[in-house]
Amino acid sequence: MGSKKFFVTMVALVALLSLTALSSAANPPGFDDNEIRIGQWGPQTGPAAPWGSVARGSKLLFDIVNEEGGINGRKIKYFIRDDMYNPAQTSAVVKELVERQGVFAFVGGVGAACGMAVKDYLSKNKIVWVGPSAADDNFIEPLDPYLFAVYPLYNDEGSILAKYIVEKLKSTKIAMLYQNDAYGKDGLEGAKKRLATYKMQFVAEIPVEPTEKDLGSQILRLKNSGAETVMMFVGPTTAVIALKTSANVGFKPQWVSSNTLSDYPLMFKITGGLWEGVITGAFGEIPSSTTNKYMVKYREAAKRFAPQERWGTFYLAGLLFADPIVDALKRAGRNLSTESLLKALNSVKGHQTIGPPVTWTEKQHQGTDSVMIQKCGPNGSYIDLQGWTKNDLATWNK
Amino acid sequence: MKRDYYEDVQLFKSGVVLFWTSALLILLFTFPLYAPNYYIYLLNIIMVHMILAVGLNILAGSTGQISLGHAGFFAIGAYGTAMLMSTFHIPFLLAIVIAAFVAAFFGFILGLPALRLEGPYLAIASLGFGLTIMHIIGAMEIFGGRMGMKTPPLDLGIEQIGLSLPVTNDLQKYYLILVIAIIMVVGAVNILKTRVGRSFVAIRDSDIAAEVIGVNLTIYKTLAFAVSAFYAGIAGGLFGFILGFFDPFTFNMILSIMFLVMVVVGGLGTVSGSIMGATLITYLQYDLFKNIAEVPYFGKFMLYISDKWFTTVGLENFSSMAIGLIMIGIIIFEPLGMFGVWIRFKKYWMTWPF
Repeated sequence: MGSKKFFVTMVALVALLSLTALSSAANPPGFDDNEIRIGQWGPQTGPAAPWGSVARGSKLLFDIVNEEGGINGRKIKYFIRDDMYNPAQTSAVVKELVERQGVFAFVGGVGAACGMAVKDYLSKNKIVWVGPSAADDNFIEPLDPYLFAVYPLYNDEGSILAKYIVEKLKSTKIAMLYQNDAYGKDGLEGAKKRLATYKMQFVAEIPVEPTEKDLGSQILRLKNSGAETVMMFVGPTTAVIALKTSANVGFKPQWVSSNTLSDYPLMFKITGGLWEGVITGAFGEIPSSTTNKYMVKYREAAKRFAPQERWGTFYLAGLLFADPIVDALKRAGRNLSTESLLKALNSVKGHQTIGPPVTWTEKQHQGTDSVMIQKCGPNGSYIDLQGWTKNDLATWNK
Repeated sequence: MKRDYYEDVQLFKSGVVLFWTSALLILLFTFPLYAPNYYIYLLNIIMVHMILAVGLNILAGSTGQISLGHAGFFAIGAYGTAMLMSTFHIPFLLAIVIAAFVAAFFGFILGLPALRLEGPYLAIASLGFGLTIMHIIGAMEIFGGRMGMKTPPLDLGIEQIGLSLPVTNDLQKYYLILVIAIIMVVGAVNILKTRVGRSFVAIRDSDIAAEVIGVNLTIYKTLAFAVSAFYAGIAGGLFGFILGFFDPFTFNMILSIMFLVMVVVGGLGTVSGSIMGATLITYLQYDLFKNIAEVPYFGKFMLYISDKWFTTVGLENFSSMAIGLIMIGIIIFEPLGMFGVWIRFKKYWMTWPF
């Protein structure tokens, strides 16, 4: 058959093609005269979908900025990509945004594992990443020149909450229920360090696996320890089970939780009202605040741009994680470059809107050590207990 | 017309097949020259899914045993390879094979209940297996617990004799995965043509009849699980290095389901079907559906639909819906999957233009 001849011709053709073809290596630029392209990944579907509102919250901020005329004459073009909380997909969407769309910077980004999967890639490609919505020591240590963190560390929060319990609640019998992973252990470590300064100890330290569904024995141990106050660094499901189990056995301590459970309307609903009275740390001002002018402005804007969204904690997180980059972009000026943005970010000092005051220097990219303390009131409303509080025991900023 | 057995088992049935196979191989080997880097990453993922789908198809398609736990074997491959390399300093190629054999062993274990379970019951058992593996790994500190683990630097050389052959970027990984994928695919084609493969098919068609004609059900059913898990193990080992970092929840239940979708959409019981299915589904899931809003005209239309009818996350749900619709469509209109479409296409053009 004549296919042999054809075959040889084809091979020659393909070989020729491959010799002449040029591979385009450079990524498209992240901005032009009219727009700056910013991206974020976040689970819009899949098991972690409730946290997807973070990415949509950032959208509101950029909508507001664009409505006000953009930044130095450039509008922000914002891309949200659903990664289903799966690091493989995070890598894919981030690479696609950087190499095909040309993205200048990333903001937010839910999930420590998802962030870790793309961290090295981003800094290798000199893409700025501001405000990962997860606290992970690997994000700040060792210093990554392109990564700027906003989220308060759990260690600091544990310490601040413990101080509040001892000094304000005057509680002497404190116990801790913590998730057996980096999140829970960091909180435990911070709280223990704080208690040590008062020469105190937890009356019980009880680990819990995030997948455990029966907390009967743990709650009984907490009850038998005689604890008046129980700190908890756990996930939402565990918290719900813990509160319901305690109610069943008649154990009524003061619960104090980390900021991960500060979405009161949600927690109030899924605990069937048991969340009322729980004290938590918080990474943002209370959503119903009328005194914070930014909160008022954003809330009004949300009514126009995103009326379908629930005005909740995680949606707000998207605003406050992305906030510092808008400020830095403004200061970087019309003559924009990655270097000028980095310079502006490295000189952010005490920047504050609805989140903690954020300060970055060239040597320190963890933006804050502060949390607020709030309490859940009737029907999942917010009560302010204590404003922005620094952790004087923090070691990372020394 | 086939005249003897050897014509049936040869790899290339005709010069035409040989020609197109070579053309495809040349295209694949030269692909990085004309594709942007982003596609290399996508292709790496596609090839890894392909290896897994080919393996899963041996089990689900050829032997007729359903598995919803393949993310578990995938995880064993990923964790095993990374652990063997970082803790025991075993060279990559050996580590990935050992990890795959560990996965195969677990496959054998899962195969034991399969001797008594069928259909939905087996699906539930395997689903349980996949979920359990995820949680066991998550609870063990040596595997990095819930915080996940970073893969060691990928080096094809042998550390002990000072030979170093580092594989660092996506492009080098591409060639590594491509070579392994070709070996695995050829391996699968061969398995299905041997006595073992025919026994698998006999079990699928009727296990009682198979037993009557002398197929040992205990051996062959567990073997099918082991082979399939071996493929998943190899795929997992490579997958870990594509990511560079993974945690237990990377290998969740949705992943197992997507693997099965690839096999069903591609075509049950065929190697080329698995390849087509893995390629299509991975491309849709990782690329097209992510960018649906930026597709000209259609994207605008979808945004409009989503604003009008869907929930807040709107358009993002489109991905799951579309994949679901594809599945339903395949089952109703084309039970042989993409492979069936391909056969019809081939038949049509065979007699063209008459």
